[in-house]
Parts: sequence; C-alpha cells; structure tokens
Amino acid sequence: MTTALEPQTGTAVSIQAVTKSFGVKPVLRRLSLTLEPGTFTAVVGKSGSGKSTLLRLIAGLDQPTSGAVVVDGQPQTDHNPQTRVMFQDARLLPWKRVLYNVGLGLNGDWKPEAERVLASVGLADRAGEYPGVLSGGEKQRVALARALIHQPRLLLLDEPLGALDALTRIEMQLLIERLWQSRRFTALLITHDVEEAVVLADRVVLIEDGQIALDVTVDLPRPRSRGDAHLAALKAQILNRVMGLA
Amino acid sequence: MQQVLNQGKTLAAPVNQPHIGQRLWGAVKRGGIGWIVPISIVILWQILVEVGVIPERLLPRPTQIVAAAWKLTESGDLATHIGISTQRAVIGLAIGGGLGFLLGLINGVFTLSEKLLDSTFQMIRTIPNLALVPLVILWFGIGEPARIFLISVGVFFPVYLNTFHGVRSVDPHLIEMGRVYGLGRLAMFREVILPGALPSILVGLRFALGIMWLTLIVSETIAARTGIGHMTSQAREFMQTDIMVFSIVLYALLGKLADVIARGLERGLLGWNPNYRSR
Repeated sequence: MTTALEPQTGTAVSIQAVTKSFGVKPVLRRLSLTLEPGTFTAVVGKSGSGKSTLLRLIAGLDQPTSGAVVVDGQPQTDHNPQTRVMFQDARLLPWKRVLYNVGLGLNGDWKPEAERVLASVGLADRAGEYPGVLSGGEKQRVALARALIHQPRLLLLDEPLGALDALTRIEMQLLIERLWQSRRFTALLITHDVEEAVVLADRVVLIEDGQIALDVTVDLPRPRSRGDAHLAALKAQILNRVMGLA
Repeated sequence: MQQVLNQGKTLAAPVNQPHIGQRLWGAVKRGGIGWIVPISIVILWQILVEVGVIPERLLPRPTQIVAAAWKLTESGDLATHIGISTQRAVIGLAIGGGLGFLLGLINGVFTLSEKLLDSTFQMIRTIPNLALVPLVILWFGIGEPARIFLISVGVFFPVYLNTFHGVRSVDPHLIEMGRVYGLGRLAMFREVILPGALPSILVGLRFALGIMWLTLIVSETIAARTGIGHMTSQAREFMQTDIMVFSIVLYALLGKLADVIARGLERGLLGWNPNYRSR
C-alpha cells in the first residue's frame, strides 16, 4: 500500500463498445466512454437507463455481454484492488465499530491510518460507535473513509448521496470534492441529481436507453457556487435534455 | 426516586430501617411487575390447601414442598441428581448442537453439500425424537448413551435449521461489499457471514434448550437410576407428592436458568444490534 504522502495518480478507464444484456433486454448498447486519469466524471440518467449497470461493469462486479472494460491498461475480469465503490446504502457491517469498519480487510498496523482517514471525514470522535447509532450522513462518511483508506486510484460513487437530506448532501459534496482534489484519484459519480453532477464533475455524461445521449464538459472554476449563472444555465440545458424538452 | 419515597416514610414513622413489607415492595418493583402473578398464585395455592379445597393427597402445600426441597438439599441427594442431569444435558447439547452448527454452516456456505444433505435432514426433522425411544433402547440399551443420543438428536435440528437459515439470510449487499473490499473467503466468513448469521443461530440455541430439557425429563423417567427424572418417578412410586411437585419446579428453574444464559449470550454477542441491547 502506498502512503498518502506519495503523489497519487488516478487510473485511466476505457469502455469499449460495451453491451450488457439481462435476458434478452439490452441495458447498455455498444457504449464507449473514456475517463482520463484524475478527472471527475458524473453520469446522469433516468432510472433504468443503465447507469448503475455501467458502474458495476467498471467495478468488475459484472461482466459485459460483449465489448471490453479496460482499467489502467488491463481488461477488467474481476474486481480490481485499486478500485473502490461507495454504494447508495453505506453497507457498513453493523456488528463492527466504526473504526473496524474503516479498517475492514486490512492487515498490520492499520489503526493510526484509519483514525487519520476518519478525522479527514470529520468523524474522529465516532470511532468507537456501532454504525446503528449513526445518522445517514455519518454512515456515508464512514463508507467514504473506508474507501479512501485503500488509496484507491479509481473511486466509483453509486448515488451515494441519494438518500441524504439536502443540507447533508451539500456538506458531503464539498467533502468529496475536497478529498478528490487532495488525492487526485479518478472519480466516477452516478447520480440522478443534475445539480450535483454539474457542481462536482469536470464532465457530465447523460445515458439514455443504454447509450450516451449527451457529453458536456463543465469548465467552471472550483469551488463552484450553487447560485452561479453559468452553472444554472448548464444545469437547465442538461435537465431539458433529460426530460426530452430540447 | 427510591430515596425520596423512603424519606417520606421516615417522616411518617421515625424508624431508620424501612419496614420489611416496604423492602419487599421495593424488591418487587425493582424485579419487575412480572413477579406479582406467580407470587399470588403460590399464596392462593397455600390457602386453598389449608382450607381443604384442594386435597393434600393430590397437591401438597407450598411450605411442604419447600421442606422437601430442604431435606433433599441437606442429604446431598439433590446436588447429585442435578449434577448428573446437567451433565447429560450439556453433553447432549454439545454433540447435537455442535453437529447442527457445523452442518448448518457448511450447508449454508456450500451449495453442493446443501443439495446433497438438506432434503435428507428435512425429512428426518419431521420425526419427533421421542418416537425413537423404542429403537434407541434396542440399540443402546437403557444406559447413558441412549439418553445422550436422544438429546443430541433433539437439539440437532433447531440448531441446524437456524444456522443454515442465518447463513443464507445474510444481506447479499454486505457480501458484495466484502468482495469489493478484497475480503478473501476466510475473512468473508469471519467478518461478514458468521456475525450476520449469529442472531438466527442464537434463536436456534434457545429452541434447542427447550427441547433439551423435554428430552432429558422423558429419558430420565425411563429406567434411570439417577437424575431429576428418576427422582420424580421414584417419588411417584412412594406417593411423595411434595418431591414430585418439587421436581417439576426444579425443571422450571433449570429451564429459566438456561434461558437466562442464552439471553446473556445474546446481549454479549449481539450488543451491536439495537434489538438486543439491555433488555
């Protein structure tokens, strides 16, 4: 495991003409997408558009029906140890205290590092609690800490903020942005919240019927203000496209 | 709260020590409201025997039972009988419960062994273990192995079924998460599957404890020379109703004790689960 002091670089991800079918129904149809190392990409789309399926393929949790997913130059056949996933539900082990959830799967002297990562998500004082007593936002922070302790070069976020209240969500967005900026991993965020996508990402990809329907670069300085006019215009443009109005 | 109440009483009567009735009432309140009904039943029972509504020949009065208990304790017979009964119960539980636990885990984790074994277990499960008594006597005679075999068979199934069910009902999302976080097979089992199955396994253990006592009583009533069951059937021969009733009370107390131990295990092992915390 590399330490936090070494410069981290994200992995490149290349999705090459990927089709994924469940039964006869294709969920992704010859979809191609390239993620540059260290970039933050958001994938938006309606429910059932195939955006979560795409994430599962990149994570190596499912295999494509045809085509290839190449991560860091290697075709993805199983789960890649440099990739970590944050799920919509935090998926903490309820029988392990917070600190041990963060250190899950680690060997050796991981505790100081776990405490450090917990502190970086603002939960240093909750290390000894069981997940059952944490709020939804705190659980997701623990899940984020658990992902970051592995120094992932690719972080996949599967609607991790979807179940949080509006204020907690903004707080978490700022936290994710800050940690991404300091650690420079490649990030892919699946979301149905277009505002979240344009606030966080360098690039927003819209998936419709298993294909890329829109691919826009968000070239706005960070940190981005939610009230910014450019941001609002971009959000409206994407939303209209999602709703089939433009 | 307690202190305030006591202060109020000392104002009324200038005695420092609370009255025995007050102390009893305090104990009842602390011990919970659950004691009121059983204590009332015992008092009512004593009265009904005293006035002759219940013939003493059929049901001795509670005080006689206490006397019989005291006599048995003093002679040391009681300790011997309880010791031997507990030993049988624990050995039977260890063998049957241990096998049920292991096979439940194996069949829960490996589909092949489940396909191979589970339907057989499901068939055998429907046979009441006590239906095997004649056959068991034929196989093992009337000695110790027969009793331990019956208890083992009885406790095997609740432990097996609940362990199997517990392993199978572990949240698949957590297992997937474990995969993403690089847990190997052994770590996955230790960190995710076993703790996830534990609540169900402990339910199985509690069922098993109930069956364990039931089987023990029956098997000790059949041709044993020691044990609580033997003590009971011998008392019946000599019409010692006080000892007969005392044995039944004893079974109730031992059953309660086993339940308390099982609950303690639940509290200790499932402290993370809000459903089990300090109840």
